Amino acid sequence: MSAPPLLEVDHLVMNYVTEKGDVSAVEDVSFTLHQGEALGLVGESGCGKTSIAMSLLRLQAENAVFKSGEIRLNGENLLALPEDEMRRHRWKDIAMVFQGAMNAWNPVYRVGDQIREALDLHFRPRLSDAEATERISRLFEMVGLNPAMANRYPHEFSGGMRQRAVIAMALSCDPSIIIADEPTTALDVIVQDQILQELKKIQRELGMAIIYISHDIAVIAEVTDTIGIMYAGKLVELGPTVEVFARPKHPYAYLLLSSTPSVTGPRRKLAPLEGEPPNLLNPPTGCRFHPRCPFATERCSIEEPPMETIADGHRVACWNWREVPVSIAQEARP
Amino acid sequence: MTEKIDARPGADEPTDLPPPIISPDSVPDSMWRIRWALFRRSFAHNWKLFRANRVGLVGLAIIGFFALLAIAPTVLFATGIWNSAVYDPVVGLEPNPPVKVMTVVNEITDPETQIDFRHVLLDNRIPNNIQVGEQVEIPQQPAPPDRRHWLGTDPLGRDVLSQLMHGARAAFFLGILAAVVTVIIATTVGSISAYFGGALDSFFMRLADLLIMIPFLAILIVIGAIFEFKLWHLAVVIGLLSGFGGVAIVLKSQALAVKVKPFVDAARVAGGSNAHIIFTHIVPNVMPLSFLYMMFTVTSAIQGEAALSFLGLLNVRISWGLMIQLANTQGYLLQGLRYWWLLFPAGLAVTLISAAFFLVGRAMDEVVNPRLRKR
Amino acid sequence: MTRYVVRRLAQMVLLFVVFLTVTWFLLYALPGDIVKQKFAMNPNIPPEARQVAIERLGLDKPVLIQFRDYMINFFQLDFGLSFNQYPRKVSDIIAERLPRTIVLFLTALVSYYYAGFLAGKYLAWRRGKRGEMAVTIGGVGLYTVFYPWFALMAIWLFAAELGWLPISKFLNPDEWRNAPFTANQVFIRLFVTVLAVSIFMALVVLLANRIRDHRPRALAKVGGVALGALLFVWYWWGTAGGALMRPYAGDIAEHLILPVAVLTAVNFAGIMLLTRSSMLETMREDFILTARAKGLSERAVRDKHAARTALLPVTTSLVLAVATVIDGGILTETVFSWPGMGEVLVTSVSNEDIPLALASFSFIGVMALVGHFLVDILYGVLDPRIRVGG
Repeated sequence: MSAPPLLEVDHLVMNYVTEKGDVSAVEDVSFTLHQGEALGLVGESGCGKTSIAMSLLRLQAENAVFKSGEIRLNGENLLALPEDEMRRHRWKDIAMVFQGAMNAWNPVYRVGDQIREALDLHFRPRLSDAEATERISRLFEMVGLNPAMANRYPHEFSGGMRQRAVIAMALSCDPSIIIADEPTTALDVIVQDQILQELKKIQRELGMAIIYISHDIAVIAEVTDTIGIMYAGKLVELGPTVEVFARPKHPYAYLLLSSTPSVTGPRRKLAPLEGEPPNLLNPPTGCRFHPRCPFATERCSIEEPPMETIADGHRVACWNWREVPVSIAQEARP
Repeated sequence: MTEKIDARPGADEPTDLPPPIISPDSVPDSMWRIRWALFRRSFAHNWKLFRANRVGLVGLAIIGFFALLAIAPTVLFATGIWNSAVYDPVVGLEPNPPVKVMTVVNEITDPETQIDFRHVLLDNRIPNNIQVGEQVEIPQQPAPPDRRHWLGTDPLGRDVLSQLMHGARAAFFLGILAAVVTVIIATTVGSISAYFGGALDSFFMRLADLLIMIPFLAILIVIGAIFEFKLWHLAVVIGLLSGFGGVAIVLKSQALAVKVKPFVDAARVAGGSNAHIIFTHIVPNVMPLSFLYMMFTVTSAIQGEAALSFLGLLNVRISWGLMIQLANTQGYLLQGLRYWWLLFPAGLAVTLISAAFFLVGRAMDEVVNPRLRKR
Repeated sequence: MTRYVVRRLAQMVLLFVVFLTVTWFLLYALPGDIVKQKFAMNPNIPPEARQVAIERLGLDKPVLIQFRDYMINFFQLDFGLSFNQYPRKVSDIIAERLPRTIVLFLTALVSYYYAGFLAGKYLAWRRGKRGEMAVTIGGVGLYTVFYPWFALMAIWLFAAELGWLPISKFLNPDEWRNAPFTANQVFIRLFVTVLAVSIFMALVVLLANRIRDHRPRALAKVGGVALGALLFVWYWWGTAGGALMRPYAGDIAEHLILPVAVLTAVNFAGIMLLTRSSMLETMREDFILTARAKGLSERAVRDKHAARTALLPVTTSLVLAVATVIDGGILTETVFSWPGMGEVLVTSVSNEDIPLALASFSFIGVMALVGHFLVDILYGVLDPRIRVGG
């Protein structure tokens, strides 16, 4: 991990401006991503993980405002780029596998042509028809689809096939980073697993970095090296997947993991996470998790805990992380 | 068992409503009471959504304005402010029209052709024995607005404002009757088609296809030629055409969505008869969309009436279309702004009220269809 | 696709037969129908003449036989003789009027569909910006305006007041006194050349769209359209036949402008409003996000993805709009005294010229059905889910 990081998200703060006031969607989030690394971002819906993903491509909603912070790709701050330069980075450097890939395809164009569109934009010199067809066929084979399907329309694909094709499209311009936002949520469990394994295999082969985003910690655990837990717009814990799984330090991470049943570990009582995520129009003072936190002290409601490095590559934002029980008898499944 | 299941439609209402309370001994009665309570509450909720849309409120205001116009003549005649001999929209006549004083400057009889221009120009109303240099008073009909006739008079000396008001009455009568007929038929046809499916469904849907495809006005013209059309005949025919036509298709697809809801299955399992299920479960859930289509039907009914009157194919006492037809056939429309009081009131009234119902319909659409709402 | 076309065609033919049947029952077979009233039971006609009329009209035959004769006659295009323009054949009148209506109808349909779509597209893209409200209100105004009144206002303004365009009618009779052609010959020639040029241009644009690079594609489009325009100019100005006919064609074209413009203006608003809401809905779709993420420019996202997909619901609405445009056409023809099918329908109904009224109504029905069929095909071409699904 001595090479310079591919992507650095540095104290990013993003608000949504609404009629009722500013919604604090991303609050002081920092992480780095290296070549070939697989990072997972986990959290409840509305915790800001998709907002971060969209910010990386600068496709945030119209009412989003970056208050401070930087997103650096190979040292270049993406947030400062003019729009047309940013466009050149999209897909070429950072591609995305979207949430609900069912609707990621425009129904009126052939799947192959929609991939071709990305190729035509980013390859210089432009690929000839034969080269493009050849490339699309290779991509289809890589994700386990029949290359002839490239001439079909999206409605002729099944859900799993569409998702595979989305992955093929994401790979089409050899991006250095792929963001997979809930890549398998809409699919049935077996297809889910197949696709995740496929994605993992391709990632290893091509050596690209990948950011998985999911509300389901179990899905992510299998395919990531590093995992970040998000709560109410903040990154509360970041560390090696094995480490976070075995010894979560943030109370939220601890409760999240205890509320997830383990298939392979011993039987235990599941601890439900009580309460509702906070309203980000008016987030709680101090630590945003303190109203729901069983370990909260008075300090938590007043002072915001900083991100503290507790071990090599393992950081946590909690005043009382030492109080969190050491083991929850949950084994990581890398 | 039945009672509990019957109460299920309530479960589909917004969750902030408290669960309905029902007494098991009076099922059908309490059903409607619950439904009424739910309706009142969802009405309040929807009204809030509707009010957020300014355009819809503008539409509502315009409709209110025309409603006042429609009521006005009753009040004006009853209180004696208006005298029906003068202000009746059809047989009224202004006895003392404004006059224009003109001096006779030419020989009245053309010496070559021997035509007496007195009669041609002055419409026989001038005494015969006038001479060059004398002054004559020429009655001005149509007359521009004055204190007695706020919107002037038409070529026959009738009050335009009174005609406009009676036209509003005709428009409301026609529009609302047509809309009610449409909604009753379309809701029934849509619900029945969706519920039973099969041959009945195919029949109604093919009929609807046909009615959508054939130009509405062409049908009205032909039917108008066969039967002597009165206003309410027209309303019923328009109601039938749109009720069995496009609206039925839309309501059927809505009814199909309702049909697969669990409470319909539950009612069937509990032994509800077909009629019972259709009328107590499907129809009430199709209703909101029906109201929406009522608005659009009013627009097309008013426009249809005006077009038929304009073509002179309708036997009505007075209507906006008739006012335009009269002004047009007598050549006043092409004279431009000189006769503006014949030009604008009726044409604008038809346009405005159509726009108003259309806008209210669109605003209601946003209430019924959450997808259209601004986020 | 072939299966889709064949199925739609079969449906249309079936619907048309049903339509004719209903019309016939409405006009002939109902008790107290107009034909019996006018002839068989009219006390003003002497009994012998009445008997002759009954026999000639076949009213003494059983209903089903009457129906059969009527259907056979209809498909042999024999609609009898007009009462009012006796002894002209109804089929001749229809043949004369039909092209005039089709031109009015087609020109208006194509131009309002295209203009409305373009306007709606830009309107959606400018959502929330200034001017949007004004355009929307204007659109609603045009959409709900009382059509004949609007048309009369347009005539007053552009013809009577400004004098830019002729007031009404199909041509200026003074100029046609010594014309070496009939009006219909010129008219059809005009129609055919415009149609040929339009098809040529459409083909060029379609083919040009296959070119992948921007510059050559734009060049091919502009060149093709210019070539089409040049061919048109050459025919009417360069050839002897065209030059001879040109002043007359010009006269007809001049009379065509105002009715087409008015019909377009009114119908355009509906398409504009629909395109706008359809675009706004499409823009929330995930594939728009995908397109942006791929690095497409806003313009490419709008034109290639949002607009192309928003076209589908707009085309669906065109299915309903065919009937509305024909309705508008009937009123347009009446207001402008444009001698087409709609005007014939209204005058023949007013004059109780039954054979003509019936035939013109049926042909308006045919027009509507053919229009539907074409729009259905267009929809199939645009939506791969139908085209490929069969």
